[in-house]
Amino acid sequence: MSLADGFGEHNLEDVVSVLVRVVEAAGAAIIFVGAVIAFVRFLLLAFRREGMDPFAQLRLNLGRFLVLGLEFQLAADILRTAVAPNFTELAQLATVAAIRTALNFFLGIEIKEETELVRADKAAAAATVPGAAPGTTAKPP
Amino acid sequence: MITTVSRDASLIVVAAGLIVAAVAVARTRRAPLALALLLDFFTAAALIRLAAPPSWPALGAAALTIAIRQLAGHALTAARGARHR
Repeated sequence: MSLADGFGEHNLEDVVSVLVRVVEAAGAAIIFVGAVIAFVRFLLLAFRREGMDPFAQLRLNLGRFLVLGLEFQLAADILRTAVAPNFTELAQLATVAAIRTALNFFLGIEIKEETELVRADKAAAAATVPGAAPGTTAKPP
Repeated sequence: MITTVSRDASLIVVAAGLIVAAVAVARTRRAPLALALLLDFFTAAALIRLAAPPSWPALGAAALTIAIRQLAGHALTAARGARHR
């Protein structure tokens, strides 16, 4: 029995398609769990506290889950290129990968900007409440 | 089977987003914040739906959702950033 018989193209396709499904499902599960966590935390925060900061923080956390899930799904896309059999599937794969890559890029930028805005919001809140956060209030001349 | 599960999961996330947006408007009276949260949940739903083997209409819908979300998200972030300048 030759090596080509043992690791034939069909066997490889089966193995890779199982791997693709597992990795893809892991990505989707991460995003779903992130959304559920954000939902539960939002409801807890909404009925306890007022103000913007906790919600901005919550959006940041959800964004991080989205990015993590996207990384898994992009990994699945890369795996899928190994076995994409016809042009239509390849074109759809390219479209999905393009959507995910673009979203991953923009989410990264957004998370960075949001982190800075949360920091700015906190600094502004600390400046209006003297002594609330030592070191962040305006110093006297 | 993956198609059914991912469709159901994305519907749950859409419903969660609608509830979150409604509660956010009711509690904070800040429509932009509610919209931002709603768009985040819709993006998550679109991504979960993309996990199923794709078809062209599904791809188009996901791409449109994400494009709209990006546009609205940038507008909201720009508005918030302008307040700090």
